[in-house]
Amino acid sequence: MEYNGAAIVAMVGKNCVAIAADKRLGAQAMTVSTNFQKVFPMTDKTYIGLAGLATDVSTLHSKFRRKVTEYAMEENRTIEPKTFAHVVSATLYEKRFGPYFIEPVIAGLDANNEPFICSMDLIGCINFAKDFVVAGTASQNLYGMAESLWEPNLEPEELFEAVGQTLLNAVDRNAVSGWGGIVHVITPERIITRELKGRMD
Amino acid sequence: MQALKSGEQNLGTSIMAVQFDGGVIIGADSRTTSGAYIGNRVTDKLTKVHDRIYCCRSGSAADTQAIADIVHYYLQSYAAEHNGTGTEPTTRVAANIFKDLCYTNKDALSAGIIVAGWDKHTGGSVYNIPLGGSLHKQSFAIGGSGSTYIYGYCDSEFKEGMSKDECIEFTKNALALAMSRDGSSGGVIRLAIITKDGVERLIIPGDNLPRFYETQ
Repeated sequence: MEYNGAAIVAMVGKNCVAIAADKRLGAQAMTVSTNFQKVFPMTDKTYIGLAGLATDVSTLHSKFRRKVTEYAMEENRTIEPKTFAHVVSATLYEKRFGPYFIEPVIAGLDANNEPFICSMDLIGCINFAKDFVVAGTASQNLYGMAESLWEPNLEPEELFEAVGQTLLNAVDRNAVSGWGGIVHVITPERIITRELKGRMD
Repeated sequence: MQALKSGEQNLGTSIMAVQFDGGVIIGADSRTTSGAYIGNRVTDKLTKVHDRIYCCRSGSAADTQAIADIVHYYLQSYAAEHNGTGTEPTTRVAANIFKDLCYTNKDALSAGIIVAGWDKHTGGSVYNIPLGGSLHKQSFAIGGSGSTYIYGYCDSEFKEGMSKDECIEFTKNALALAMSRDGSSGGVIRLAIITKDGVERLIIPGDNLPRFYETQ
């Protein structure tokens, strides 16, 4: 899980959620790219972040994109974040004895615009959290930062600051994550995406 | 056989020393890691072993600190025994003491050291002592895990007879490139300029580092 490096965090705010990730792709200590995407939109209001082995990040993104499209065709509606979380969990548990080396983080708004976040381990055990979830090589650092910076009912702009600072300061103490960051804040009206300017070491 | 023990602090590192007419420039990053955790982000890897002789440390933090302390002791004894001016230990003497320790204990140690200093017989000189304990006098030396990314850059940019300021730019740019690519290197760049007039220490914080092409 430490081969490529990753740091992902999601937080709940007042009628909004935010999800952030670093942008490094490494081969152990060597940095190969500073522009690697780890957070993907699954629907207009649901994002998934995938921390772990980069090849599995690409594969699972591809698999989930197909499953979400097929769901939309069969049910003639967009999949809810909680339902999508169960789809992810089932996909991971299918490979119980030869797993994908991935820790997913999901953030979104349901049909009633209620915030939803959750994370999972590599075999699909879901952690439904009310405050924040973290994943990746800097997860312990992220826990410490999030625990300190999060408070309930943050407005979108405040949530952006909390998530951004949580990510930036956590990855600065981890040798295999960082090299840039990206934050998505999901509100009922729109999604605000911003790049983070951080240390490139 | 594992080079570092589990949980042992590692000076992942990018270190460098360049000789110029009048002295030497030495430089290092400031990151110490324990696995992927950055234990110290403002480490000082440029260690004094005598008034005008410094070493750059890479590898095991414990091993290199212990070796540097022993060499510092030996050089203090040398200076006391050869008392009077003109009998300060030369950089060559210091480098050979480092080499003896690193070679004799090669099986137990994980230490890559660059020794650099000024003495009145030769002026500035740089000695590279890689893992096995061999000794190499060079015009410039690079070491540590980050050095692998800058061999090409250094070979193409280095010229004999550079001025002090050109050497500083060369060192700064090379270390910045190494810190950008190597996960085990980062933080700030620490520089020291050693001449007959003494040692001038400089620090370049992370936001003032030269930045190069980044993948878009």
